[in-house]
Amino acid sequence: MFTVLIVDDEPHARQELRRALSEAPDIRIEGECGNAIEALAMIARNKPDVVFLDIQMPQITGIEMLGLLDHATMPYVVFVTAFDDYAVQAFEKNAFDYLLKPVTHDRLELTLDRLRHNRRAQDFSVLSEATRLRQIPCFGQHMVFLLKIDQVEYVESRAAGIYVVDLDGEERPTDVPLNVLQQRTPLLRCHRQFLINVDQVQKLRYIESGLAEFVTRRGRPIPISRRLLPSIKERLGIV
Amino acid sequence: MNLQAITALSLALLQQMAIYLAVAYLLSRTRLFIPLTRATIRWPHRLACYVIFSLFCIMGTLLGLPVVSANAIANTPAIGAVIGGLLGGPWVGLAVGITGGLHRYQLGGSFALPAALDIIAQGLLGGFTHRYLIRSGQVRMLFSPLLAATVTFIGVVIELGIDLALARPFDEALHIVSLIALPMLIANTLGAAVFMEILNDRRDRIEHQSRAFSAKALEIAAHADGVLRHGFDQENSMRVARILYDQTGVGAVAITDCEKILAFIGIGDDHHLPGTSITSPHTHAAIANNEVFFADGNEVPYQCSIDPHCRLGSSLVIPLAGEDGRVIGTIKLYEPKTRLFSTINRTLGEGIAKLLSSQILAGRYERQKSLLLQSELKLLQAQINPHFLFNALNTILSVTHDDVGKARELIRDLSTYLRKNLKRPTEDVTLFEEIDHIRAYLGIQLARFSDRLTVDIDIPDDLMSVRVPAFTLQPLVENAIKHGTSQMLTAGHIAIRARRQDDALVLEVEDNAGRFEPKPDRDGLGMNIVDRRIKNRYGESHGVTMTSQPGRSTLATVRVPMEALPQCSPS
Repeated sequence: MFTVLIVDDEPHARQELRRALSEAPDIRIEGECGNAIEALAMIARNKPDVVFLDIQMPQITGIEMLGLLDHATMPYVVFVTAFDDYAVQAFEKNAFDYLLKPVTHDRLELTLDRLRHNRRAQDFSVLSEATRLRQIPCFGQHMVFLLKIDQVEYVESRAAGIYVVDLDGEERPTDVPLNVLQQRTPLLRCHRQFLINVDQVQKLRYIESGLAEFVTRRGRPIPISRRLLPSIKERLGIV
Repeated sequence: MNLQAITALSLALLQQMAIYLAVAYLLSRTRLFIPLTRATIRWPHRLACYVIFSLFCIMGTLLGLPVVSANAIANTPAIGAVIGGLLGGPWVGLAVGITGGLHRYQLGGSFALPAALDIIAQGLLGGFTHRYLIRSGQVRMLFSPLLAATVTFIGVVIELGIDLALARPFDEALHIVSLIALPMLIANTLGAAVFMEILNDRRDRIEHQSRAFSAKALEIAAHADGVLRHGFDQENSMRVARILYDQTGVGAVAITDCEKILAFIGIGDDHHLPGTSITSPHTHAAIANNEVFFADGNEVPYQCSIDPHCRLGSSLVIPLAGEDGRVIGTIKLYEPKTRLFSTINRTLGEGIAKLLSSQILAGRYERQKSLLLQSELKLLQAQINPHFLFNALNTILSVTHDDVGKARELIRDLSTYLRKNLKRPTEDVTLFEEIDHIRAYLGIQLARFSDRLTVDIDIPDDLMSVRVPAFTLQPLVENAIKHGTSQMLTAGHIAIRARRQDDALVLEVEDNAGRFEPKPDRDGLGMNIVDRRIKNRYGESHGVTMTSQPGRSTLATVRVPMEALPQCSPS
């Protein structure tokens, strides 16, 4: 039995795929989403086995959405697209499964067969948009805020969740894990709980007992862990 | 006895006057006189005026007749001084007077000093008359022979007065003056009038020539304007050749490209046939060397290369230059053996060739530009976005399950959209037809994004029959969805409006996405083509303008002229 999530920004497309999948006895459709942001929340909450993922969606494309997920624990992905020559070529070479809309019965059977018996090893590194983030989706009140990386001052992991702080000091929670942000953005890990935008660092200040901290242009101190200090100094060219 | 002497002196002085005027007439045929043909304030002209009239002044003295043992001279320097002053102003008059005066003074005699002062006074008299007439705006009067005669007459009267006042002994002076007064007055007055008439003659001839030349050139330019813009072919060449033939009055006119005769009109058109190859070695040489070739039939012999009995006797071959100065053909003017090839026609021919060359070039450039635009537009339509097409089919497939009637409607919309897209983009359509195209397209898009797209179309009925270029509005609506509302997480809205503003039709497409970024090279392709096509056709004051409030709205505004205004009711 597989749990499935359908992600497509067109309601009729979702309906059509749901109808096709409902014929399979071992598929349970957990839900539908109309955009990548809803899908991220749904994946985090329900942890489906498989995501049928449209590529062209508002604000964050299907491929970009993959960049916001931890590849180690994420669901198996089947791309669903009407026409995308470039992406389809990449899928064929790199063992991603994909369906073309309108989906034919035979082709869907093949995909379901692979799901059941021999899943392909998915190599995300070939999808550059899935390995590099342009922006971080954050939650505001009743809205999703897409913050560009160069607008980030630092990211902090707190008990309540991950918070992204922008250049004006505004804090917004995000669903994207800290280690995903560390891997797919130029933000620098300087502490167990902190990522910092190096472009926003004004100085590195030594405090007692061999410890140090960053001070941002806005004057906010950011701690540096003792363990990471040598490698950070090396990376910043401080001898 | 006195009467006899006076008559003899008068006749003698008039004879001298004739020599004087003959010199003046001859000089008037040279370029030297050109500066004298108009009243001038330019110093180089004034200098020329001074030099020439000083010479005439001196010549007037030299051609004089000695009277009473050479103490006095009956002479005519007054003409030079007065007219010099009249044409050159007080300073020139004074300078001519002083020069003539010094010359007279060093000739000596009891009249030397008064005679020198006379000439200066006459120069000043002419000069001040000049100043008076200029200030009172009567410039034409300066060239009046009657005025010249009158002023000279007064000048001579003053001269005689000065002579009487200054020359000593007075008895002798009185005797001399009574002897020369009448001959001097007659000769100088008459001479000044004739001299001025010579100047007028010269000026009229120059003006007449240049007027005739400019008129001809302008006439040809006006007639030939734009003809070759529409293509350098046989038909258009024939029209230009006809214009040249009629306007220049030469024996024959031919126009060729680099291989064959495109047009031939005039003497010899029985054997110089359009469409046949160029045989003349002169034409081949003119094309090969990009040089004007002129055979006057005299120094450079000319012989028709087709028919030895051809009546044409001289030929001018002028190359037509195209891109990068490359020769693309020639214009040829001919005269028959019985006529001389006029210089005017030669100059005209070369000027016209330059004019036509630039026309041909401009025409080619324009045609290439519009061809490029047409092909881009074709490409734009041919790009029925496959993403759109397959998503549309997928939507119809899904709708078929739930609502067959709706599915049938969508299939009709899709076929209308596809059919309209296959229309030739050069066509004009009514606004109604353009909206029909958009409605079909929106029918599909509204079904695809049924949960988050709404559209309002507000077009007054009386504007529906206005004609607009096909594909004016459709690409803008497509843009508003593709780059606007389809990128929104919340509900999208598009408003399509039309209104009349003075003599223009204003069309607006507004979305609430506000995601427009001015990137001319990328996705705005369709919009740019729409804009360029309208500007190309109607000029810079029409076309597409984009305004955007980021995150709020993007507004595309199209301005096209009201070409076919429907019969608006007065209400």
